[in-house]
Amino acid sequence: MDIPLPADAPGHSHHESRYNVYVQIAMVLAIITGMEILLIFLPFATWLVVGSLVALSAVKFLFVIFFFMHLRWDKVICTAIFFIGLVLGGGTLWALVRLFSAAASVPLSSSP
Amino acid sequence: MNLAATIDHPAAPSTATGIPNKKILFWAFLASDCMFFGTLISTHLVYRLHPPPGNPVPTQVFNIELTSFSTFILLMSSLMMALAVNAIQRGQVRTMRSSILVTIAFGLIFLGCQVFEFNDFVFEKHVTITNSIFGSTFFTLTGTHGTHVAVGVFWLTLMYIRSFKPVDATGGAWVGRAVVHLLLFALTVVLGMYSAIAFAHAALAHGVNATMLAAFANSHGVAVAGTFLAAAGLRWLGMAHGAVDFDARNADDVESMGLYWHFVDIVWIVIFTAVYLLEYVIPAGQVR
Repeated sequence: MDIPLPADAPGHSHHESRYNVYVQIAMVLAIITGMEILLIFLPFATWLVVGSLVALSAVKFLFVIFFFMHLRWDKVICTAIFFIGLVLGGGTLWALVRLFSAAASVPLSSSP
Repeated sequence: MNLAATIDHPAAPSTATGIPNKKILFWAFLASDCMFFGTLISTHLVYRLHPPPGNPVPTQVFNIELTSFSTFILLMSSLMMALAVNAIQRGQVRTMRSSILVTIAFGLIFLGCQVFEFNDFVFEKHVTITNSIFGSTFFTLTGTHGTHVAVGVFWLTLMYIRSFKPVDATGGAWVGRAVVHLLLFALTVVLGMYSAIAFAHAALAHGVNATMLAAFANSHGVAVAGTFLAAAGLRWLGMAHGAVDFDARNADDVESMGLYWHFVDIVWIVIFTAVYLLEYVIPAGQVR
């Protein structure tokens, strides 16, 4: 059992507990993961399944960075710094996949 | 933004941004790691668009049940890490230690699943890092992520041990105790993971029955006993030994570690969807 420090003691902080918020978000993340796994076995149109998977992953991603990583409560400069790297990395990924999806990019030695 | 809920850093010296420099440094590092993983994921996906002949079919080598389980475990480890940060921000050292220990355990389970998966790929499915493009990009990407998890587990372990530093610590005695603590931790982890993976292989090969358990005890009993002995030593070292030099003023250190751990989790969220799940929806080479 932890013994609460008096408010004026060194090492005491005035942070309010976010225990319930974190537990609720973890439950949401677990449910979304279950939905993702279920989705790949459902006979829906490919575009719908792919779109849903990407959207659900994005929701999980945003939940983790804004709540578990505290961006929601932190100063906006932290969000800005992280999103610079995220946009550059994500943009590179998107650009490369688009570039190599083009018909002219198909290598002669690839599978039919 | 709700200003009333904005994070304050009472222990940090004032900076131009109002945020501890350590934390800014960490966000910058994570931003650079986004670009690093962006290139690794891009490389894997680009080669999946046009797989060369002879590549294995991923859905025939993946074990989606195992990967789903390890994904769930990593998500729960993120929850425990968030609870550890929440605890130390309120000065609750013992709660923080318990949360860190569970986070370490979940991280090790994730790594154990990855070792099991890699072993299955190489020895059962004959997919190695050199015999196909798929193997090269897959092992490089997931192996790099696994290395990040391993570094995170090591960092968590160091922070856990650091939280026992006595207020009146003298150099030699405290360092000696910390080194013994670390060695005992390493022994528990190595023996524990060896035993767990050996048990999983034996259970899969022969099923769980009295004969299998007897054979396992005969061949791996020493490792299992060593795990329990080392864990008992850890328990003894973890018992209260007076006031410690670790409280809410160390919250920024724990939070930085937490940021790293959550980052490892969000990278896996992307890998799980892009590398594993999409293979079941869009077979390789059919993206246009």
